[in-house]
Amino acid sequence: MSAEKTKKTIPYTVPIGPVHPALKEPVMFTFGMEGEIVKTVDFAPGQTHRGIEWMGMRRNPVQIVHMTDRVCGICGIVHSLSFARAVEQIVGIEVPERADYIRTILHELERIQSHLLWAGVAAHELGFDSLFYLAWRVREQSMDLIENLTGNRVNYGIIQIGGVRRDISSEQRSLIEKGLAYYQGLLDKMATLFLEDSTVRMRCRDHGFLSENDARILCAVGPTARASGLNMDVRQDYPYCAYGDLDVKAILPPAETGGPRGDVYDRIIVRLLEIGQSVEIIRQCLESLPPGEILWEPKMAKLLAACKKAEGEAIGRVEAPRGECMHYVRMAGKEAPESWKIKASSYSNLMSWIPMLQGEQLADIPIIVASIDPCLSCTDRVAVTRNGRSAILTKEDLTRLSREKTRRMMQ
Amino acid sequence: MIETLPAILIGAVLVAVFSIIIGLLLMGFDRIVAARMQARIGPPLTQPFIDIRKLLAKENVVPENAIPWLFNLAPVIALASAITILFYLPIAGFAPVLSGGGDLILVMYLLTLPALALVAGGFASGSPYATVGAQREMVTMIAYEFPLAIVVVAIAWRLAAEGISLPFSLATIGANPVWGLVGPLGAIGLLILLVVLLIVTPAELSRVPFDTPEAETELAGGILVEYSGKNLALFSLTQGVKTVAMASLVVALFFPYRLAAIAGISGFLGAVIDLLFYILLITLVTFISVSVIRVAMARFRINQVVSVYWIYLAIAGLGGLLLVMVDQIMGVV
Amino acid sequence: MAGLPLLPELLRQLFSRPATNTFPSRHLPSSVTGFLAKVARGEATIHPPVPTPPKFRGKIVYDREACIGCSLCLRVCPAHAIEFIPETKRVRIYVTQCIFCSQCNDVCPKDALHMSPEFLLATEDRYAESQIVE
Ligand code: SF4
Ligand code: SF4
Repeated sequence: MSAEKTKKTIPYTVPIGPVHPALKEPVMFTFGMEGEIVKTVDFAPGQTHRGIEWMGMRRNPVQIVHMTDRVCGICGIVHSLSFARAVEQIVGIEVPERADYIRTILHELERIQSHLLWAGVAAHELGFDSLFYLAWRVREQSMDLIENLTGNRVNYGIIQIGGVRRDISSEQRSLIEKGLAYYQGLLDKMATLFLEDSTVRMRCRDHGFLSENDARILCAVGPTARASGLNMDVRQDYPYCAYGDLDVKAILPPAETGGPRGDVYDRIIVRLLEIGQSVEIIRQCLESLPPGEILWEPKMAKLLAACKKAEGEAIGRVEAPRGECMHYVRMAGKEAPESWKIKASSYSNLMSWIPMLQGEQLADIPIIVASIDPCLSCTDRVAVTRNGRSAILTKEDLTRLSREKTRRMMQ
Repeated sequence: MIETLPAILIGAVLVAVFSIIIGLLLMGFDRIVAARMQARIGPPLTQPFIDIRKLLAKENVVPENAIPWLFNLAPVIALASAITILFYLPIAGFAPVLSGGGDLILVMYLLTLPALALVAGGFASGSPYATVGAQREMVTMIAYEFPLAIVVVAIAWRLAAEGISLPFSLATIGANPVWGLVGPLGAIGLLILLVVLLIVTPAELSRVPFDTPEAETELAGGILVEYSGKNLALFSLTQGVKTVAMASLVVALFFPYRLAAIAGISGFLGAVIDLLFYILLITLVTFISVSVIRVAMARFRINQVVSVYWIYLAIAGLGGLLLVMVDQIMGVV
Repeated sequence: MAGLPLLPELLRQLFSRPATNTFPSRHLPSSVTGFLAKVARGEATIHPPVPTPPKFRGKIVYDREACIGCSLCLRVCPAHAIEFIPETKRVRIYVTQCIFCSQCNDVCPKDALHMSPEFLLATEDRYAESQIVE
């Protein structure tokens, strides 16, 4: 008896999205199916564009920094940090060392909570809700820690152009140490629960395969790329904040677990190991936390004046939990930046869905889609509508529009 | 045995009401213990009743490209057939409302009816998700039918080998608990068969890890995706009644004991004790084969469902059957 | 158990205290507003929320006396939640618009703005009295 059900000769299409329980954010998939097997994949992002850059180009950098907190619901540090780093480069701001370390600590705490959040979502996509509840429960510890350090759970409001807005006191320091000890003790348990569970292994091993070459060609970033064996990590390759002083190496699936295979299982491994790495980084930061100021310029009026004078363009890049995140900013001696563009990490990863999904079963779609940890509201930067209906721009259209815009900006 | 028509009718109504109430309570119980295992508080025990009341108050939405008569008929058939199963099962030691010589075989056929109604409803919905769900439901049905049959045959064979007439009759099985007939080897075999039956149960009830036909994250509810309002309420009731039926089947096959009879209590008090004992047993079965299994595993892919049943459970079941047979032959020698 | 490492943990949790936060009551009341009214009348007890952290940013509070009307806060508010009233030379803050960044607190030369720990702000009316601080 063949394990598959009677195959239909004519492929049929299954739409998934824009809103579907398998997706945590809106994106539209169209699958050409043959029985349970996915033959063709097409997807259309841009379902949740909010025009945040448009709003930003009408505000000053101090205001924008708080808007960047809201680009993503999970990465509250990543976007504000890369925006701030872009502006700092343009204005020529030297960030105090202590601020750099505090930024790093929060950045890594955020990675811990984001990876745990992902682990929970992945378990839920597999229909394993108990693991989902467990992962999210242990995530609370990092959320509490972040809440204590920044004031709020989700929109931290901690990054400022030229530093951070809150210092870490000695009591908070011991709280962080307690949190680190908690996660240190938890790592083995999480590894057992995820990696030794036979049902999880059955569903994830050798599924959602992305070869090293595909990962390179499709410009995958972050854990998705590393799970396929690409040795890349912005923290290692182009250190920023305190990473230059620290020992950070990109994490690849270790050989004892079967080496980088580039399947969903490897992506779980990479993320779990990165939680451990983040714990280690925070510990190093705490040990060598330098004293000093936390802001380049505490007087906002002066900071705004400095920003207003500045001219030039810069890119701020950071290693978000999902991969490299980039903010391009261009200032031209005005209050508001002349241009601001966000390239969220998921933007680079979306295309790897196609090789991953082809040839897989319908049942694997949710976990494979979730395996790159897509964050779509960060990614969606454009939505095209004509006469109230959504439209699709071709490559030619885009090239033409970009040229026109560059010309406009050159004038 | 109840013979006259009015008695049968009264019995049928009693069983229907009883199975619906107990079924909903079992679902509430399952939700609470599952929640506790996941370190949540969970809903109150009466949550399924509240849900049903709400669903009943809502409008039935029939999709545009559905086949309305089939779409609306399916839930009714599902519930009716689920209740019918219980007419053939002994409840708390009371003789089944209806019965005949081969009623275990009949029960097995009846068990497929609610699932078939669900499949018909799924295909009639005219939604790709429901269609995929219905296909998966059929595959699942074919998959678990085989191990289920092995268990049933093993027990009937053991009774027949003892020279007991009508081995497929549930009354006979109830009167001769199998555990009393076998030696240690056979007991191990029976234990394996019991485990097989307990693992067939979640598939019969479409629960994780065998809930592939509904698969919330893949198919958004699959087979049931287009159902709403009263129709969905009927399907929820079916789910409850099916839970009672499957748990009762496990109890009837493996634990047909009556506490009151053992303790020598008779009359009304005895009946009450029997009923409570029976409810305890089916609750226990539900706990193990529904709640524990569903919280401890990830959902299988449909081909994995098939291999679990056709390979692992079938081998386990045949092994159990073999042990029971060897035990019987050794006992005779 | 081999292959199912979560199972022992689950069975343990069956007998331990659930982690659910029971705010505002153990089960959803049939009417939340009715429940809150009851709490106000003292007929029911509300399960307290998790305490807010030390630097929590909740509803804004405004010290009208201290304010000098310099309108610096308007310049940094990312949400345009602050309005300057020229007649009184004071500001008005729309809480429904505020995104609780506390940037205005940092910038105010007279320390007239603060974030309170109050976070139960949901209402149906954008311009309700509780949603406007002046
Ligand atoms: S807290 Fe932020 S959003 Fe709210 S009024 Fe102040 S500056 Fe504006
Ligand atoms: S910054 Fe302070 S003093 Fe100036 S207008 Fe705002 S509240 Fe008043």
